[in-house]
Amino acid sequence: MTEPRQQRILVVDDDPNLLIVLAEQLRDDGYDVTTARDGQEALRRLEAGWPDLIIVDLTMPRMDGLALARHIKAQADLPIIVLSAIDTADSKVRLLDEVAEDYVAKPYHYPELRARIQRVLRRLGDRIPRQAIVLGPNLTLDLHHRCAAVSGKEVQLTPTESRLLHALAANLGEIVTTETLLARGWSDTEDAEASYVWVSMRRLRQKIEVDPDHPIHLLTVRGVGYRLVQSHAPSD
Amino acid sequence: MPPATDSGPETRAADLAANGSGTTRRARGLGAVLSLRAFLTATLIASAVFPLAVFGAILLAAGLYSDDRVIVPLVIAAIVGAACFGVAAAAIAVANVTAPLRRITTAIERVAAGEPGPPIHITGDDELARLAESHNRIAAETQRRNGELAALLTAIAGYEPSHGVETLVAAAERDARRIYGLIDSQIQLVAPAAVPLAETTPGDPRPVRAEVRAGSEPLGVLTGHLPATRAWERADQDLLELFSNEVGVALRNAQLFGRIENQNARLVELDAAKDEFLRSVSHNLQTPLTSIRAYVEQIQSASPEAAGDRRLAIIAEQSDRLTRLVRQLLTVTRIEAGVLRPQAEVIAVGPRVRRAWEAIGASGVTFDFRDEANGWLAVVDPDQLDQVLWALLDNAVKYGGQNGRVEVLVSADETIERLHMTIGDDGPGVSAADRARLFARFSRGAGSGSGEGTGLGLYVSRQLLRSMGGELWLEPAGKRPGAVFGLSLPGEPPGDGG
Repeated sequence: MTEPRQQRILVVDDDPNLLIVLAEQLRDDGYDVTTARDGQEALRRLEAGWPDLIIVDLTMPRMDGLALARHIKAQADLPIIVLSAIDTADSKVRLLDEVAEDYVAKPYHYPELRARIQRVLRRLGDRIPRQAIVLGPNLTLDLHHRCAAVSGKEVQLTPTESRLLHALAANLGEIVTTETLLARGWSDTEDAEASYVWVSMRRLRQKIEVDPDHPIHLLTVRGVGYRLVQSHAPSD
Repeated sequence: MPPATDSGPETRAADLAANGSGTTRRARGLGAVLSLRAFLTATLIASAVFPLAVFGAILLAAGLYSDDRVIVPLVIAAIVGAACFGVAAAAIAVANVTAPLRRITTAIERVAAGEPGPPIHITGDDELARLAESHNRIAAETQRRNGELAALLTAIAGYEPSHGVETLVAAAERDARRIYGLIDSQIQLVAPAAVPLAETTPGDPRPVRAEVRAGSEPLGVLTGHLPATRAWERADQDLLELFSNEVGVALRNAQLFGRIENQNARLVELDAAKDEFLRSVSHNLQTPLTSIRAYVEQIQSASPEAAGDRRLAIIAEQSDRLTRLVRQLLTVTRIEAGVLRPQAEVIAVGPRVRRAWEAIGASGVTFDFRDEANGWLAVVDPDQLDQVLWALLDNAVKYGGQNGRVEVLVSADETIERLHMTIGDDGPGVSAADRARLFARFSRGAGSGSGEGTGLGLYVSRQLLRSMGGELWLEPAGKRPGAVFGLSLPGEPPGDGG
């Protein structure tokens, strides 16, 4: 980490054992950690000052993680990572897309959690608007909801796809290298290769381009990377 | 219909002619050959003309033996004239008799065909008039009952089991009053014997009653009162019983429907309770597991000695194993609720297999892994694929031989754009008896101890793979011993996206 100052993380969980060990693990990695046992305590901690990131459990007494996350997001665009035992196929997790930047299942592996924290904190610099990005008459990206409108039809994006588009949209019109995309899309995958990016881009093109063989938004810069461009020309 | 002709006297004459001259018996035989009309005509002619002709013949004979030349033609002319008159009179008389008969016949035929026309008007008080009147009455009754039957059928068709018993009873009581013109009506859902029979008092409203039954099972009694002036005949009683039986069937259906609704509601409740239970179990199990895991990791990272401590590694592995089992249970509920929504992410299968093998932590088992995917990537949900790999590798270790060896081969079928994987062990293999139910829930291999595994691994794996457009099967028993499972997954060539 080459951050100019210590980054602050608020951890909210009703299990005191976990709070202690997670706080220690995070402090060992140089974060400034505060903890809270439930949603209400978390809100009191927030009054004293806003952290850079919140890690929150979904199932808690008094105010659950979802309510807390909604409450926080209503006030500020503070990045939130949900750390919960509820598995990813749960319907509640779908709601997380609205309020959380990422989701880590319990029991977590600390290296994975750390990778996700770093990725979410890095993403802060991107400052991509939370509203839809109109790239042309036939393409609108709504990365906040992980979907795109292609010729008026809604297309769902996977978490990786939306991270890739996020990275491309943050540098709209400019080349983003394959390496950057790999790091952005697969930061928590140790053995990711360039072909991950190639194949994902090809699939993404199938999803968001009206004519995938003649792309007008998601362009390849051979040997370097990719570009996401606005195009208001009729696409067919 | 034309106005009725006043044909009283002729009719009576024809009647007499037909019946009075002793030809009735012949009429039966001839009737089969001749129509009634022709027969009546012939009979009339015979009875009117024959005596006249005999009389004429006698006269003629007498005349032939006299010299009077005038009388013979006169007599012949008289005979011919009489004969013509006789034929004409007979024809008119017969027409007069048969016309109303034909009208009555047509009307009766129409009633028989089920579409009674307007009543027949035949004046007088003779047999034909009475016949017509009786027909009119029957036609009117038939029409009324037809109307009742139609109303009854419409009413019954409107009885939905979902309306519930009380609503149906009220509707049936209302319909009974409307259809049968009852003054009042009640349906009591009690044993029919418990409702005493009402007595009929002349001048008072007439009680009617029919048992409400579903098939042979009595459900109750329909009772009511009819205006004193109304006739109530066998056919009316039959219609009422038909109605009450249909009401009985509808009520029975409503009762069953209500019962099923209740049971469904209960099942939904139980299902929700089960999900909630599993969720809380999962949470309550994973919360301590999370602490255990986190502390072990922390201790391991604290010093090189701790990092190499086998005991800590076992704690970590076993808590991971427990976590996987809990997750598998949760996945079953997701599968059954039909809410699996896998993400189609692009990943290389090889490294995933290696990591899954490391996570299993099977020491003492040889892992023979060959990755021949040529860089082909799978398009799957990584979390779900991990679950499948854990379950299959875990099985291979569990059911493998003593000095076990697990073989995994990943390959790409480029023509159909799919990745294939086989996972084989060197155990006893799967018996023919086990093969059939291998992928069913809670199915365990015969060789396993009673406490081993949840019996969910293969079931969950197959469902997860199918949800991602993949498949899982058991390869047919081959030359080598052991069980070999085959997987297929949607694949993508590694080529540059440009």
